[in-house]
Amino acid sequence: MSNPTATKKFFDAVLFREIWNAMKVTFKHMLHRPITFQYPREKRTIPDAHRGALCLLRYEDGTERCVGCDLCEVACPSHCIKVISEEDKTLPLQRYATEFYIDITKCVFCGYCVEACPVNALAMTKVYEFSTHDKRTLLFDKARLYQIGERHIDDAKKYLYAHNQEKEGEEGRAYRYHFPVSIKSTQEP
Amino acid sequence: MGLKPVTTPDVEAATIELTLDGEIVQAKEGVSLYDVISSTGKIVPAMCYHYTFDPFGSCGMCLVLQEGKKAPVRSCTAKAAAGMVIQTEGEELFLARKKGVEKHLSVHPLDCPVCDADGHCELQDMAFEHGVTNLANAKQKNIPEDTRSLVLDFNMNRCIACGECINICKDVLRIDALQFMKKDGFTQVVAKGDQALDCEFCGDCLAVCPVGAITNKFSKYAYKPWQLKKTTTTCNYCGDGCQIYVETKDTEVVRVTSPLSWKNKWGDRTDTVNGHDGICVRGRFGFQFIDSATRLKAPLVRTDSGLQPSPWLDALDMAAGRLAYVKAQYGAQAIAGLITARCTNEDLYVFQKFMRSVIGTNHLDSSARYGHLNFVRAMKHALGLHRMMNTSEEINKAKALLIIGANITETNPVASLRVKSAMGLYKAQTIVVDSMQTNIAKLASHPTMVKPGTEGLYIQGLVKSVIDQDLIDEDATSAFPEALDSLRQAVGSLSLEDIADQTGVDLKHIHEAARIFAEASRSIIICGEGILRHAGGYQHMLHLIDLAWLTGKLGRKGCGINTYTEEANEQGAVDMGVAPEFLPGPVAFTDSQAREKFGRVWGNNLPDSARGANLMEILDRCRTGEIKALYLVGENPLETLPASYEVTSALAKLEVLICQDPFLTETAKMAHVVFPASTFAEKDGTVTNQEGKVQFLRPALDSLGESTLDWHIMVGMANGLGSPMEYETTQDIQNEIRKVLPGYYNLGKVPHVAPHLSEYFSKVLPREASSRYSVITKSATQRPFALRMIQLIYHSGKLSTQASGLMEISPNMSRLRMSAEDFKNLGLSAHVRVRITSDQGTVEMGVEEDMSLMPGTCAVPEHFNDPPVKDLMPLQVDPVTGVPYFKLTDVSIEKV
Repeated sequence: MSNPTATKKFFDAVLFREIWNAMKVTFKHMLHRPITFQYPREKRTIPDAHRGALCLLRYEDGTERCVGCDLCEVACPSHCIKVISEEDKTLPLQRYATEFYIDITKCVFCGYCVEACPVNALAMTKVYEFSTHDKRTLLFDKARLYQIGERHIDDAKKYLYAHNQEKEGEEGRAYRYHFPVSIKSTQEP
Repeated sequence: MGLKPVTTPDVEAATIELTLDGEIVQAKEGVSLYDVISSTGKIVPAMCYHYTFDPFGSCGMCLVLQEGKKAPVRSCTAKAAAGMVIQTEGEELFLARKKGVEKHLSVHPLDCPVCDADGHCELQDMAFEHGVTNLANAKQKNIPEDTRSLVLDFNMNRCIACGECINICKDVLRIDALQFMKKDGFTQVVAKGDQALDCEFCGDCLAVCPVGAITNKFSKYAYKPWQLKKTTTTCNYCGDGCQIYVETKDTEVVRVTSPLSWKNKWGDRTDTVNGHDGICVRGRFGFQFIDSATRLKAPLVRTDSGLQPSPWLDALDMAAGRLAYVKAQYGAQAIAGLITARCTNEDLYVFQKFMRSVIGTNHLDSSARYGHLNFVRAMKHALGLHRMMNTSEEINKAKALLIIGANITETNPVASLRVKSAMGLYKAQTIVVDSMQTNIAKLASHPTMVKPGTEGLYIQGLVKSVIDQDLIDEDATSAFPEALDSLRQAVGSLSLEDIADQTGVDLKHIHEAARIFAEASRSIIICGEGILRHAGGYQHMLHLIDLAWLTGKLGRKGCGINTYTEEANEQGAVDMGVAPEFLPGPVAFTDSQAREKFGRVWGNNLPDSARGANLMEILDRCRTGEIKALYLVGENPLETLPASYEVTSALAKLEVLICQDPFLTETAKMAHVVFPASTFAEKDGTVTNQEGKVQFLRPALDSLGESTLDWHIMVGMANGLGSPMEYETTQDIQNEIRKVLPGYYNLGKVPHVAPHLSEYFSKVLPREASSRYSVITKSATQRPFALRMIQLIYHSGKLSTQASGLMEISPNMSRLRMSAEDFKNLGLSAHVRVRITSDQGTVEMGVEEDMSLMPGTCAVPEHFNDPPVKDLMPLQVDPVTGVPYFKLTDVSIEKV
């Protein structure tokens, strides 16, 4: 009575076939390039559309883009944004944010706030490392958000382009409404 | 349903039938079709419509299909007619309305993110509802923003020319400060004559603006509507008791709004007789005192180095300990208390219970003593009433109004709108008697200027004229022939020529006014500070009652005598018995039945019925040293009464002065213990408005710092004195008030009070009348000018001077207001200073021209003490009611 399964088992055992198979995998990997990164010495290339730390942006002339409209605050699903706005005393009739807080520990990196921003003042960067000894530093205030924006301006721009939020030149103008920079008052100064 | 074309409440329009979407509905003939549709509960969009004024018809949204007409018609301007067949829904209408939205939106800037109306914008809602996503020919107007006004900014790029602001200002407020003007190629809303807006600043235009074209300067860009927590509460400035929404963000008040808004535009115009839901400048823009930096945040205790912050327990312990010492040493009669009528009913009730049952003294009074008690005492004496007789609806539908000594547009702006609408809508004849040309006089049919201080004499003239012209109502007077005879006799000696000469009013006009008042079917008297706060106020009130009785206006529906109160809860102070002569109710303090009842409820005997001291007597006794301890709740006699009364020295004599106030007032600076109290926006409780409506205060914020409710502090002191009051919440106090005054919490419905015409007219009047009527000829004086302390619409007492918004609108100008003629005669100009001298002293200040003053009269707002004009005033105390009179004096004026 010949049983093929029994025969196969017999030969596998005699010839140590399983060991050969295992060794095959081992030797194959000796010749393969490693795919792990030596983080934090090596870092992965991050796509432009990556949603990392939030930042605030300025226009080319250095003025703040943010008009303090509170729309990011209302769009945020995790309620991590707090905007306090006011009339700009130096530029009458201009609204701006006196204070701007993002609690990044609460942030779910959904990007809705960037989507909501009518002036593209908010953008996401490729920063994703938030480990710290002091959790309080993760409550980003206005100064910190502008600092991130300055440091990662290229990434932030790329994010906006990748998400079709901002376009170059005239094309971008058609896509996004630009606020009147200044409505002059009839009042004599 | 709209009012037009019916403007008199006596005529009813015919009822007609028409078909709406296949259903037959009934309506009044001639009213707007839009009103008929909305009365069935269907909502047709409309952006220029508001029920408080006539339809305007500019937005083109309220389109409906009428059978027999090809194009859709505007339902707001179409009049309902019998047999109309109307269709309000359908694809065709939707598209027509969408076109309307697109038309507005194509010239509307899309700056929603920075617009204050974002999220509370009718155009936004309409665009969303009709799915407007693509605008083919959008263009911008680029109109500069008009920021010239102190309060409101006009961004005419956003305007949709609905005209709601103009219409409400014209039809409801009757101020007419705004207009349309074609400027830079666009129709724009501008202030009259394209000047900077300078009006009463009630802000109702801001409330009804359906877009963000009119914005509020004080909270510009500080909020988005959805971020604000809205608390419905009652305004604390005057006795009108308007319902307001205090809108807060975290711990600050961002703005104050009222139920008047483009959002509740559907209503019946006849309902506005009970109020249009708007508020005045004080309510809307005077909220900054609530979270002011000058508020007291912790109790202060006097130490060697002045007033120092102290923990609550120590301060309470010290105050209670000192009171206990005074009580043990000198007896309970050495302790007195004063409370402001801005407190809630619960505060007032606990205060009088604390004084009467814990301390055991009847020396207590409230700020209602400054005038309102003249009214209450006279009404109580003659008619058994304790508040005004008419509701706002009755005032609205009056046929004749006698407004005497009351500058109601300034003191009670919202209540004055009822008078304005009585004049405008229902064509009431109005006699306004005042020594100034008030704003209400400018609208009145019979404005009458009297010489300052002769308003009371004018009433005597009216009584005399009524008797002379035989305008006496037989039905009313026949029951009391003795009273009528005594009045006839009393006025017999009066000479109308004398009165005409003294008051400066033509005799003919006195007769005419008497005729109008007596002959109208519904006549209403409104008296104010010119009667109640000028010498002889109590007597003048009795004259008014005589006048109303003679002409049969007492007890007839729609007639009566009324007053408006200056502080929010003066009526409540009277009702809660915060006066030595009253127990809660108010019932007389000497009423043995009531004394027994309250003694039982409070668990101890009431103080001796020997007369308790009122406000002026308390200060007198402080000066003589009879009263050793004074407990002031929100009262500030030092800044209110003239210096000649020597309040400072009276207070300096005290062994214990305890002050309880949200602010460190001048009086509080002299105190031994100062407790920080909450403002109205932090309190829960009730206030009673002048009409008798009991309305709720609800806390919009937590009390600032360590400040707390007034009754908390009183309960704390009672505990310290060893006779604890068992209240944990405001509801506990309310339950007790419910027990002692059944039916007091009337939930906004005013119980009707009928005057009680018996004893007074049968016994008292025949005895009193003879001594009541006389013309006192004013002795010639060296001082040719009459100086009046007047109230401004922008301020209320001293409280409003803590609100930065109101101080911006109406700062202390330190200027004497004088007539143009006097200006010329004295050779004055705007830069000149004058020296004002009265028998009491001298003050120097600037001058300004005021068109509303008669030659020989000058005026100063009473809200500011810099320079101290109040110190020029002599102080006279009413012999019956103890009301202090210090609002009018004779002065001489010279250029410096």
